[in-house]
Order: sequence, then structure tokens, then C-alpha cells
Amino acid sequence: MSTPLANPGRGPRQQFELSIGRVSLRLQMSDAQLFGAASARYAAFSDAAAQPTTIALNGGAAPNGAPVDFAYELEGAALRAFSTEIRFDGVRNQYALDSLLRVLLSWKLLGRRGFLLHAATVVRNGKAFIFTGRSGAGKSTVASSSPEGSVLTDEISLLRREDGVWRAYGTPFWGEFRAAGSNSSAPVAGIFRLLQAAENQVEILRPVAILRALLPNVLFFSAETQANRRLLEILSQAATEIAGYNLAFRQNATFWEVLPS
Amino acid sequence: MSTPATVFWQKNPALAWREIDGETVIISPNDSVMHELNDTGSFLWKNIDGEKSAAELAELLVENYEVTPDIALSDTQALLEEMSSRKLLVTVSAIGRVSP
Repeated sequence: MSTPLANPGRGPRQQFELSIGRVSLRLQMSDAQLFGAASARYAAFSDAAAQPTTIALNGGAAPNGAPVDFAYELEGAALRAFSTEIRFDGVRNQYALDSLLRVLLSWKLLGRRGFLLHAATVVRNGKAFIFTGRSGAGKSTVASSSPEGSVLTDEISLLRREDGVWRAYGTPFWGEFRAAGSNSSAPVAGIFRLLQAAENQVEILRPVAILRALLPNVLFFSAETQANRRLLEILSQAATEIAGYNLAFRQNATFWEVLPS
Repeated sequence: MSTPATVFWQKNPALAWREIDGETVIISPNDSVMHELNDTGSFLWKNIDGEKSAAELAELLVENYEVTPDIALSDTQALLEEMSSRKLLVTVSAIGRVSP
């Protein structure tokens, strides 16, 4: 949904509402080119929610005297979270916006028992299979060898625990597959740590090994102690409640034959 | 008259840690490195509270595990030094308790 807003002296400010993993956001900006790029990039995640968090892009002065709950800087672009609104400043293109959105989501998910993970997610028989690993591990191979429409994301998966069930959500954050993620979710079947090998093989992991597999692939940007304690609590719960495996695979679709159903 | 200082060990307050699957996992927020402690390491970690010396921690080890006092003390000191070098622990110096 896009709506022009009155913004005297700066040209019309436009807004775009979206929802990623049920985190509702409203982007407001005056830059028409950036607005066009953002609304196209996040079109599949467009959603008008009742009470979205407002993000003001390059909006000028910050709220007077308001304390900053969370701040992050990335290559000249800055995120500041105030109690009343979020500010993204120095955002020159859609890539900077995309990066700050990932940072913001990773922070907001802490309060929703969720996290972002470098992982491709594929839905099969109604369940989400999560394939995690760094660049080159095979996430794009998994995504590209899966049936059309079954890939929630080929790069960044969003996991959150809702009503006692872990669900995986698609995100609009692209990987090598260059496909916009799917704005849908499914209950998690398992987390699979990708390892390239000559033969397909799965090995079940203990919770501490799942945690060990998750940690290097979690997107998190706060060095603040309480935030890290909260993240570790969430990840420990995920590692205890979600089945996890090492998946040695041949970089083609035959790996499905060895996965647990 | 000066009295000898006793060193007490304390967890680095900046760390995040949890017990999972019988092991203690410690995360340093600055570098996101994950440290893992085994059963006895987890036992010592739980008892490190800023009020116990290496000798007192070793005594607890002797009481709870089948280990001689000499080995318990040397293992405890080695673990404390290792965790200290990884910035997982800090020391607290206090005026020593004088033995009767």
C-alpha cells in the first residue's frame, strides 16, 4: 500500500507498508526514485497492518531528547530506534535500505522470540525445511533445484516461535537465486547444516551441536549484553525444540531422498 | 601490617551464557565466539560467583567428583587461567582471609 503524505518543502513524502515474518513496518520517504525501487522490491510483502512501526527515511532532525533504544551504522547509513519511531538516515539506495531493514528485523525479533538465519527454506508437504550455511554452502543450489513456489527464501530465513510452534517465514532478502522470497510461512520440519560431499547423508545433531551450527549463521548486530543474552536464550530454545541435522549432499536434488519426512 | 591478597574469580559480566544439553555455552558479545564447557567445566562455571578462590572451587570439585585434591586444584587452576585468557572471567582481589 502506498500513500502520498503532505511534506512541505521536501516534496511529497510517500509511504509503503509491509510485513516480514509478521513484523509490520511503514516506510516513509521523500525520495521518489528510492520509493519506486523499494515498493517494487518489497511488493510481495506489502501489507497494511493495524499498528505498523514507522520508519522515517532520511527524515531530518531526530525527536528532541528522545532516548535511543538501539543504534547501528553501516557504510554511512544509520539506524536509530527511538521509543516513538525508527530513523534510517544516510540511505542512498535500496541496498542500504535492505541492509538496515535486516538489522532492524534482527533487533525487533528479539521481543518476538525469533531470529534471522542465513538459510534457504523450502516447503515440502506443508513443512519448512531449513538449509543453513555460509555463502557457497549450497543454499542457492537447494533453492534452484526445488519445485517452483516451494522456496520461501534462498538466503535469509526468519524463524519465530508462535503458540509453542516454530514457524519459518520467507523474507524479501535476496541471495544468488535472485528471487524475491515468498510472503508465507510453514511449521519447521528441521534445520539442516549444509556440507558438500560426494554422497547424500544425514546425521542427527544434539542440541548443543545445533546451536553450534546456528550461531555463525544468525544475523545479529548488537554487542549489548542483554540483547545477546536474549538471543542466546531464543537460540537455545530453538536448538532444543527443533530437530537438527548435518546434511552432506551432492549439490543436486537427490538429497531429498535421505531427508526425514 | 599488610595481609596477603586472595584472588576470587568472577564471570565476566558482559557475557551471555546458558546451559544446554548438559554443557555450558558462553557467548562473548564483542566477537560472537562460542565457548563450550564440559561437565566439570560447567560445574565450576556455575560455582564461580566472585566469592570463591581457586582452592575453594577445587574443594567443591573434590566433594562432587571422584578426583584427588591435588588433581582437582591443578585442573581448576588450569581451567581458570584458560577462561581468564579468553576473557570469560575476571578476578576480584580482596584482603586475604588469614588462616588460624
